[in-house]
Amino acid sequence: MKKHRAFILVLALLLAPSALSGCGENQGVSAASPTPASAQKSAAINVKDMQNREVSLSAPATKIVALTPADCEILYALGAGGTVVGRGQYCDYPEAVKKIPAVQSGSDTNVEQIIALGPQVVIMSKLAQTDEQIAALEKAGIKVVVTTAKDIAGTYTSIRLIGAVVGKNNEAEKLVSDMKAAFAELSSKVKENSGKKIYLEVASLKNGLWAAGKGTFMDEIATMLGLKNIFSDISSWSKVSQEQVIERNPDYIVTFEMTYTDGQDPVKEIMSRKGWEDITAIKNKAVLSSTSNELMRPGPRLVDGAKMLYNFAYGK
Amino acid sequence: MKKREGFSPTVYILSSLVTLAVLLLCVSAGSVRVPLRDTVSIIWNSVLGLPIPEGMSKSIVFFVRLPRVICAGLIGASLSLCGAAMQGLLRNPLADGSTLGISSGASIGAVLALAFGFSIPGLSGGGVMLTAIIFAFASLMVILTLAYSLDFSLSTNTIILIGIVFSMFAGSIVSLVITFSDEHVKTVVFWLMGSLSGSSFLNALILLVTLAVCGTVILRFSRELNAFAIGEDNARNIGVNVRLVKQIVLVAVSALIGVTVSIGGTINFVGLVIPHMTRMVTGPNHKKLLPASMFSGAVFLMLADLFSRVILSPKELPIGVVTSFVGSITFVYIFYSSRRGRG
Amino acid sequence: MLEARNLSVRYGNLSVLDDVSFKIGKKEWVMIAGPNGAGKSTIVNAVSGGAPYTGVLLFEGKDLRRLKPAEIARHIGILAQSSHVGYSFTVEEIIKLGRYAYSKGAFSPISRKDEEYIERALELTGLSEIRRQSVLTLSGGERQRTFLAQVLAQDPELLILDEPTNHLDLLYQKSTFEMIKTWIEETGRSVVSVVHDLSLAKAYGTHALLMNKGRLVASGAVKEVLTRERLGVVYGMDVYDWLSSMLSQWQED
Repeated sequence: MKKHRAFILVLALLLAPSALSGCGENQGVSAASPTPASAQKSAAINVKDMQNREVSLSAPATKIVALTPADCEILYALGAGGTVVGRGQYCDYPEAVKKIPAVQSGSDTNVEQIIALGPQVVIMSKLAQTDEQIAALEKAGIKVVVTTAKDIAGTYTSIRLIGAVVGKNNEAEKLVSDMKAAFAELSSKVKENSGKKIYLEVASLKNGLWAAGKGTFMDEIATMLGLKNIFSDISSWSKVSQEQVIERNPDYIVTFEMTYTDGQDPVKEIMSRKGWEDITAIKNKAVLSSTSNELMRPGPRLVDGAKMLYNFAYGK
Repeated sequence: MKKREGFSPTVYILSSLVTLAVLLLCVSAGSVRVPLRDTVSIIWNSVLGLPIPEGMSKSIVFFVRLPRVICAGLIGASLSLCGAAMQGLLRNPLADGSTLGISSGASIGAVLALAFGFSIPGLSGGGVMLTAIIFAFASLMVILTLAYSLDFSLSTNTIILIGIVFSMFAGSIVSLVITFSDEHVKTVVFWLMGSLSGSSFLNALILLVTLAVCGTVILRFSRELNAFAIGEDNARNIGVNVRLVKQIVLVAVSALIGVTVSIGGTINFVGLVIPHMTRMVTGPNHKKLLPASMFSGAVFLMLADLFSRVILSPKELPIGVVTSFVGSITFVYIFYSSRRGRG
Repeated sequence: MLEARNLSVRYGNLSVLDDVSFKIGKKEWVMIAGPNGAGKSTIVNAVSGGAPYTGVLLFEGKDLRRLKPAEIARHIGILAQSSHVGYSFTVEEIIKLGRYAYSKGAFSPISRKDEEYIERALELTGLSEIRRQSVLTLSGGERQRTFLAQVLAQDPELLILDEPTNHLDLLYQKSTFEMIKTWIEETGRSVVSVVHDLSLAKAYGTHALLMNKGRLVASGAVKEVLTRERLGVVYGMDVYDWLSSMLSQWQED
């Protein structure tokens, strides 16, 4: 019993950085308000983060610790990679970030470790961190900015928020409008309601068959591309019944499973599953394996993930 | 005046029929509705190699449910047999693969194999199985050595305490392995919660062979286990080769637990609850207790798996959650009543 | 039958049995006597394989270490002190296990001969009436007799009893000793028993081993071993005086 709880803890820890934990929607994303344009002149910056907390800085931050992979990616995409003095242990993109000292994140967050890096600002996600951790950091004189993106709109908000923190409002605006344009282009190419069904697998059969449901980026982007998630009736990640996959007969299958031993190829493994022969996706060999994390992180690479999914479903 | 110590053939035939009936029920029930008549004709035709009548979902019944239900039954029978044997051997009604920490030990082996990609060429999942068995046996040795050196009489409290400590230790090792191997093995966490989703006919065959071999070995020692259950000294005095029997039974138990863990993950408490319930009906004589535990363990796990499949459809509950829930309540009950009985 | 040569048992630095040698012949009832901690039960444990020993134990000239456990059990039956049982086995199931050493294979049924021995043991111990009862429902005396019946069913040539009547009331003590006496007369076998009660030892024993602090003080015919002087030295008191003063309490004037 005890052990079980430990595993669930580990599970929570692993899921948290991907901002996919099933804590349910609370107040929805409150629109954070980045600095008004007038403040650009004076160096002082006042922002409201996604927890509705007022954060004020005397100047754009130049030393930042970012705990979630998505926030790291946003910083680099804004051209502010140079401000990152510390990263959460799961941050692995872009390649350059791996050279920066890693700190523990999630429930293992070690405040001392962060203080030792001497940042002005820590950017963290409320999904993974606790209020106590925030309080402890603020006591040490470090400003805390909380991002809590649960959908694409939330992602835009965190990009603008982070842009404001590093004094790159224009770059942030550009990144957001680029993303919007890319998404708009993709969805305009999609014929209205193709009616095609997609199955989004998170853990393979051997690991108990888990799928992504509503409230995940995978689901949101698939829906945007006119694809219907066969498990839209479940929320976040869940263990699902194999026979339901067969019964719901998806036209496309995407697997995000990374644990394959014996040098097994994920696509081959899915194609060879007994009893799956009659699924349309298997018959048409419409199975994709994605081991990069584009579709799990509320960051700029969601566009890459959407393109990948589009190319897979509709061809180039 | 001629009396048999075990069951009569009639009892065996009846138990087999009941088990078969539960198996059919579990194959025909599920989140996708398949009528019982269709289920029977799909299985019947598939086994005989006849064509399946139009409009019947052969793949769900024959490739998804049937191997899974068979695996559930075999794992239930194996775990339950192991529990009954351990409880007799150690004269301790709370001994079991999960309370002693053997399953946790086996999961260290399995996770290591998954994390470092240890595999046996030509046998998919063979690496996991082998390391799980080795770690199951090694942990059993560690636990018993610790227990004997602390308290030679192996009292309930010592065993349970060491089991808990060892499980926590194993849990921390598993977490450590997962932390170090990072993103690569994160879904192992799901695997650890126990799942029969991926069961194949090959898994069923492996389980069947292991159960046939180890089960025969354990059943062969029914009388010796009776003697151990009365007391190890008594066993020695009536001429049981105490050391040899103990070693053989423990190896058989480790092999069974290792194989079940590598196929179904850690499914706790089956080996604790089922033999205990069975003993209430059959009495403590292992000639009846062991076979009866196998049948009831098979029936229990097939039903528990059915429950986990349909209760939240289309979601599934990890089977370990179902068995742990039933098991922990029974555990408290046994512990409480055995303490009261003594005081 | 049984011979011990230079038998010693040590637990770490503690020597509990020190260089003891003795012989036990046919049709003897040998009483092992001595104060607490004299090493009486350790002799039994060494023979049963429960205590590691140095020296040699021979049965009919054969080294016990070279015999299989089942072979030993066919020759030597041991009734241990503890009669704690973990599960609710019936009286009959426990007695049946006494025939374990004679079974041919794991799945072979109980033979007619086995059944005869089981019935005789049930009769001798007076347990026939409660044969189907769970041992957990029995009194301490009945439980002790169940294990005595088990070792009788084992039909050993040498029966070793470790304080067989400990904790038993007078009636049980008397009936148990009478029963063992009958069994020796009927079968012509030998018995070794560890006893505390010196009167019982003198009354029923043919031979005796007197132990003190892990050493053998004297051995031989019971009358020569358990003398007033020797007991006085070993126990540090005049045993005869004390027992007769106990007995004098019964004089009704």
